[in-house]
Amino acid sequence: MKTGVCIFLAAFVALGASWCGFVLAPVLQLGGAKQTVILQSTDNWPLQRTGEATLGLQVYRANGCAACHTEQVRQTGMADEVTLTGLGIRKPEDFSAFAKSLFVLPELANFTNAIAASLNGWSGELPKTLFITGDNDLASAMADRLKAAGVKSETRLIATGADIARGWGLRQSVAADYLYDQPVQLGSLRAGPDLANIGVRAPDANWQLQHLYAPKSVAPNSTMPSFKFLFEVRKIGATPAPDALNLPKEFAAAAGFEIVPKPEAKQLAAYLLSLKANVPLYEAPFTPVTVAK
Amino acid sequence: MSDKNKSCSVPSTGEPTATRANAPMWIIVVTLILLFIGGIYFDRHSGWFDAKVYAPYASAETLDAYQPKSGAAAFIARGKKTYEAVCGICHGPDGLGKPGQAPPLAGSEWVTASGFNRLAHIPLMGLAGSIKVEGKDWSLNMAAMGAALPDEDLAAVLTYIRSSWGNKASPVAGDDIKKVRAAIGAGAQPATVEGLTKMPE
Repeated sequence: MKTGVCIFLAAFVALGASWCGFVLAPVLQLGGAKQTVILQSTDNWPLQRTGEATLGLQVYRANGCAACHTEQVRQTGMADEVTLTGLGIRKPEDFSAFAKSLFVLPELANFTNAIAASLNGWSGELPKTLFITGDNDLASAMADRLKAAGVKSETRLIATGADIARGWGLRQSVAADYLYDQPVQLGSLRAGPDLANIGVRAPDANWQLQHLYAPKSVAPNSTMPSFKFLFEVRKIGATPAPDALNLPKEFAAAAGFEIVPKPEAKQLAAYLLSLKANVPLYEAPFTPVTVAK
Repeated sequence: MSDKNKSCSVPSTGEPTATRANAPMWIIVVTLILLFIGGIYFDRHSGWFDAKVYAPYASAETLDAYQPKSGAAAFIARGKKTYEAVCGICHGPDGLGKPGQAPPLAGSEWVTASGFNRLAHIPLMGLAGSIKVEGKDWSLNMAAMGAALPDEDLAAVLTYIRSSWGNKASPVAGDDIKKVRAAIGAGAQPATVEGLTKMPE
């Protein structure tokens, strides 16, 4: 077998190359990942989970939540959003014509016409989103002209994409978000919605518990199975348990009984509340909405 | 015997051997074209393996261009940094103050006053004597901790304490501090509550 060495080397190189690509390169790239800092702030990100929420990740894993839910927000682009915050001397009813007069270039006619059309019938409540554009220069030119005309506006950088439009997060998920996940529950199938930002979308622990017990009681069209085995049906003692679920009639337990979450259910709810994708990071920048002063 | 064998055997040409042949030119050309396209694709989409670069950002330069340059949030973050290094040691990083050391800033009527004039005098001049904060008397002396800070930094600190921990008061600009500093002049004695209340808010 003259070619034995040759075949061995070829197989070695092929497997070695894929090992380098799938194992070595990611470890070199992200193996030393550390806590990072929220953009324009001194707060750390992500924060270590509480003990209860850390246990909740194992409940999430054990119940196969990742089979139907993902934890990754996707983003396809960035855009500038120009928002009116003060009209100066302009009146809301004339603003449409004024916005049209800002750019007289014929190639921008479609753009200004769209803005003017969106302002028709506007009653003047502020802040008002004027337009969203992927063209950075256009947005800053518009902001400059508004400023010169004495109109106050704010330009925000926003993430765009189908997931962002659904309200599943304010930016895409990045590696830093999963720093304390062991194992990472990325998921690959979305029979249910993405959960990367569920702690912001549904920040109420009682809502989470009720949803786990009877999904249809809070979301009538939900196809999620009920996780009743994470709860205990108990006879009501001298006083009702303080953490018993407050369910609508058709889902509630029989008279004299109450439904109490087991520790696993509480841990899972704590984990779900810890999932957030609402802060800007260096690798996923956007401008958070600040409280208008 | 030998004759018979000879008649039914094919002429022997020996074992066939592999020979070298040049690869067709078209394969080389196609491979080079594919490599070239791959190189362009790599350059556009890899981000050069930078751990911070994710699609849709193509490179570290593109990502940098989208970083916020300034703004109110950056100013407050700057104030927070200075506050925690200078003021937070006594007033606490949570602005709640420390008994026997410094009164609270969170919810303090001196901090959240409609104007910042009196507030700005305290770090610039220091404070002596008793001061009433949230209904409680504090009889402690404060050194002129802000006198050595640059105008912008002190303005950032005041903006931070006026807009944090539930406080909601207007921001302070660096130029405002410059004016207050000029009005105080050099070698001023520590301020007192009596002196401060005589000033405009």
